[in-house]
Amino acid sequence: METARQSRMPAAWPWISTVARLGLAAVWLIAGGLKVGDLAASARAVNAYQLMSYDTAKVVGAVQPFLEIAIGLLLLSGLATRLTAAISAILMVIFIAGISWAWAEGLRIDCGCFSDGGELGAGETTAYGVDILRDVVFVALSGLLVWRPRTRFSLDGLLLGER
Amino acid sequence: MSKGKDRAALARQVVADQKAAERRRAVTLWTSVAVVLVLFVAGLIGYTTLTGQDEGELVVPSAAVDDGSAFAVGSGPVTVDVYEDFMCPACGNFEQTTGPALKQLAGEGRITLRFHPVAILDRFSKGAEYSTRAAAASAAAGQAGKFTEFHDALYANRPEENTTGLTDAKMIELAASAGLTDATFVDAVNEGTYKAWATQVTEKFSAKGFSGTPTITVNGEQVTDPTAETVTQAIEKATG
Repeated sequence: METARQSRMPAAWPWISTVARLGLAAVWLIAGGLKVGDLAASARAVNAYQLMSYDTAKVVGAVQPFLEIAIGLLLLSGLATRLTAAISAILMVIFIAGISWAWAEGLRIDCGCFSDGGELGAGETTAYGVDILRDVVFVALSGLLVWRPRTRFSLDGLLLGER
Repeated sequence: MSKGKDRAALARQVVADQKAAERRRAVTLWTSVAVVLVLFVAGLIGYTTLTGQDEGELVVPSAAVDDGSAFAVGSGPVTVDVYEDFMCPACGNFEQTTGPALKQLAGEGRITLRFHPVAILDRFSKGAEYSTRAAAASAAAGQAGKFTEFHDALYANRPEENTTGLTDAKMIELAASAGLTDATFVDAVNEGTYKAWATQVTEKFSAKGFSGTPTITVNGEQVTDPTAETVTQAIEKATG
């Protein structure tokens, strides 16, 4: 009984990792896809953090969406999953640091206007908390893939001759 | 005999393991190289897209002040700069609550009111780029000497976010109701003459470190949380 239970878990890991990999791929593709159509807005979003000059923010704002889409595609195809997941985790941690910084500085970020109604709602601050929590989940998913990079339907698996 | 067989099997197993490990190493190495290459190329695409952006020919309206990036009302001693996007709801509120008071102060010769029409909300007009078109049209109106009239007409008819906004024809119609029928204006709106200018005004706004609209500065100092009260207070303080 005991051995049967132990052997069931290893068999499940590639499937769990596959779900994590595809989920993260969707996150990155959507994140990049939303920004890629308006690079000027992306630059302004980076600029809003007031961490770098506008000229630097413009370059970061233009490069970032393409990198996000590339990471999404790499995760989707399952190429060098461990490395890609590690990069994904690092970027997410950077985002968390950025949001924390904005929160600490009391910056109003991520809307052209203050909000829909113009008044700064009481819920405005909690949005930062939710954003951070969301990114922590994504870090966890990335971490899971670094720890267990073997997944189904991946280029890695294909190249290693796994079935 | 059986001992030798075991040993042979063991040796084969060791060799197989080594081969598998070698293959894993090779796959890891080359896939990692591929990942780095893909990311590098993606970054390069982003960078070349940025540098290759064609904003169209820049036409600066000669009537514009502040290095050609704003339209002024009045000529009082205190300078009040207003950065607004024609689609922004908060700007619509600001215009309703504070706009008349500012225009009155400008009329009384107490302030120089400078409007900077920025375009930061293009992504909220379903591809119609209303913010840019409206800002460009306002420059054409300013050139025709009717900036305030047109500006007020656009805010009175401010479209909601996530709609396509007002069409060029509708803006021309609103201008006509406000007494602006100039043929040069109509042509400029239809041809989008000042669109590159609107982009440049927005760039200058961002380069100053501003990110939200409305942004109000009084003698260069930003008014945080701009309302009728805070802005008039800042003006009184600057007037001394």
